[in-house]
Amino acid sequence: MTEQSTYTISEGARKSRNANFDKMIREFFPFIGLVVIFIVFATLTEGRIMKPAAAKLILSQVYVPMIAASGVFLIMTAGGLDFSQGSILGIVSIVISWLSFQSIPLAIIAGILSGAAIGAFNGLFHVRFKIPSFIVTICSMFLFRGFCAYFTTNAPIAASQSITKLNIDSLKNIIMVSVLAILFFVFQYTGLGIQLKAIGAGEKAARFSGIRTDRVKFLIFVLAGAITGFAAFLNVIKVGSITATAGNQLETQILISLVLGGLPISGGSKVRFSNIIIGTLIYSILNNGLVMLRYDTAIQQLIKGAIFLAVVALTIDRKAIKVIK
Amino acid sequence: MADSSDNIILVTENICKSFGITKAVRNVSLSIQKGEIHGLIGENGSGKSTFSSMLCGIYPIDSGRFILDGTEYKARNQIEANRKGVSIIVQETGTVSGLTVAENIFLGNEDRFVKFGVKNTGLMNREAQNLLNDFGFDRILANVVIDHYNFEDRKLIEMVKSTYFKPKIVVVDETTTALSQEGRLELYELMDRIRADGRTVIFISHDLTEVIAHTDRISVLRDGELIDTVITKTVTEDDLRRLMVGRELGNRYYRTDYDGNQSDDVVLKIRNLGVPDHFSNINFDLHKGEILGFGGLSECGMHELGKALFAGSYHRTGTVTLASGKEINSIPDAIANSIAYASKDRDNESLVSNTSIRDNICLPSRQDLKKNGLLFKRNLDDFAWKNAERISVKMTGIDQSISELSGGNKQKVVLARWLGKGSNIMVLDSPTRGIDVKVKADIYNLMNELRNEGKSIIMISEEILELIGMCDRIIVMKNGSLNGEFFRNQDLNEEDLIAKMV
Repeated sequence: MTEQSTYTISEGARKSRNANFDKMIREFFPFIGLVVIFIVFATLTEGRIMKPAAAKLILSQVYVPMIAASGVFLIMTAGGLDFSQGSILGIVSIVISWLSFQSIPLAIIAGILSGAAIGAFNGLFHVRFKIPSFIVTICSMFLFRGFCAYFTTNAPIAASQSITKLNIDSLKNIIMVSVLAILFFVFQYTGLGIQLKAIGAGEKAARFSGIRTDRVKFLIFVLAGAITGFAAFLNVIKVGSITATAGNQLETQILISLVLGGLPISGGSKVRFSNIIIGTLIYSILNNGLVMLRYDTAIQQLIKGAIFLAVVALTIDRKAIKVIK
Repeated sequence: MADSSDNIILVTENICKSFGITKAVRNVSLSIQKGEIHGLIGENGSGKSTFSSMLCGIYPIDSGRFILDGTEYKARNQIEANRKGVSIIVQETGTVSGLTVAENIFLGNEDRFVKFGVKNTGLMNREAQNLLNDFGFDRILANVVIDHYNFEDRKLIEMVKSTYFKPKIVVVDETTTALSQEGRLELYELMDRIRADGRTVIFISHDLTEVIAHTDRISVLRDGELIDTVITKTVTEDDLRRLMVGRELGNRYYRTDYDGNQSDDVVLKIRNLGVPDHFSNINFDLHKGEILGFGGLSECGMHELGKALFAGSYHRTGTVTLASGKEINSIPDAIANSIAYASKDRDNESLVSNTSIRDNICLPSRQDLKKNGLLFKRNLDDFAWKNAERISVKMTGIDQSISELSGGNKQKVVLARWLGKGSNIMVLDSPTRGIDVKVKADIYNLMNELRNEGKSIIMISEEILELIGMCDRIIVMKNGSLNGEFFRNQDLNEEDLIAKMV
């Protein structure tokens, strides 16, 4: 018996080194992608993308999607999808703009709550009525986009100047880093991550392992809504006045970013927190690089679509795709 | 001994074969005589099929060599192996659908019947029919498409195909499992005829009784290595089992005690339990230190009952109550109150398949593993290693995905997670389903140990013998109700239980 187990350990240790090597390659692949795409655009733009002004521009475009993506990251880890983030950002930006004339803390809290409310709406329909999450969230995307259009029919909604004064890079940096740090901590050290990964990899077995799957799924939709509600605050700071198209296509940007960052589209155990950061950076370098190269918008879309499709085709786990919820 | 070398048909020298990191066959050296039926046995994955596949040219060998009749032998494919005098009757169907019986028999050797570029089908059919008649299978017609014959007849046709050309060695690879008694007798007869001819049969089978009845010598493989070659007359089935597994199994396979010491302490009280469409109004008590078996036909409701005890069923009615008076109404409740559940559906319910061994072992215990409210990876790693090693899960490491493990090892991971959780009440649904004899014995031993520690086990099983062998008490279910109760007793037999099942 002891002989058997020593054999298992030593042999196991050797094999796991092999397996670790494979795993390392897989885990570093998105990072390598980031470096490659940076070098490609640095070369194509003859170094313009590395200039401080360009770097600042890229960074300024990263705050909102990075924060919003971190909420969707939780949903996708559990094997779901969320297409409603753009609409949430739009509608919550309107709420924040209105309230910014009263009090900024009130505006922030109301933003988080209204985001959470829409998230709860998604979660309720998904969990309670057992509708796949991508269908529910596509519906709420149209629904809340409709509200956005209704409120901005006559004119864009302007925010108070006291809020636009907060458009300070260092502040936004601190906010973004804090949100990511808090979320990382919660994901990694409270058991949320291990539960979400288990739900993504096999919901039934997760339930039989003692995870309250319905409750957890509902909560992450609420959480994702709340996080995007908070991101809307940064959006208002930046743009100052909200039009009907506020946050338009944020959902696809998030989806593409996360997948570029190495997040398996069906979620599960191979998810890494770094997917959020690397993915969002890859997307904005790609986006700004194409703009700097003065490609036509239509061509930009085409290139992005092609890259997205290629990455999904290369990385998708075809056995797991059936379980998208 | 001098002339014995003339008597040897096949020598294998240090044959090795790996698939990736798995060493399927390691340094196998043996010699097989002319005119013998040589048994080759071992558990699933012990390397016997890989070994015979190399001999028959299905897999190339990594290192070592075969010496056939005094000269080195290599075959790149089955047809070349046939020409050199080695043929195989395989585990699955070895015949090709859509072709006639004759075409199947002469597959790869059609050239014999081709003259001036034209195949003489009539001649081929006549020759095939003669062969079939020689073998005593007159009822099989050579010119009929093979699909008209059932699985068993196709096996007989395959026997003709593999042996009509009088190969020096015929490998029979677990063919008997597919055959009825009649078909088996035909096969045994064929094997005897080959032996009488001074040629050789290598007989691979899981059925130790037939191996002992029909072989001259037996070689035992374990983990890809040759453990021993024994003379059949001198061994018993238990000896063979011991060689296969590598340690004493014998009577310890099931429990041997019948003293019937039974605690009266009730640990779980089940009252009026029901799940729509499965069962209703179920009442029973589970005692401390008891293995309580549930038997019945697979649709009798017992599998859902196991789930319901763990509060995993939807729309459950009635109560499951602990000795403390606490009612179990949700899965987290059940786990927190020391109830464990291993589902019959191992891949979908017991384990999260696409996730690591670590996560699977740690999930139910994740609250216990927190230090100051926080979960650290190091603690998860330690916990997973400790419990996986406790019951020797064969793995490359705790990072390995469950989906890469064999059925037996998956079940070990299931048990590891609940051992780690320290559950006192274990509901095990079909714990040995699809698991080979060695892991089965491990699981039985573990159940016995847990029972002796005072834990209670509910074993739901469709295998009547394991229920009789392991349980202190057996409840038989029929159509969603309890239909009989039996206490541990040496005289209890299968018929008693079956009578209550149907």
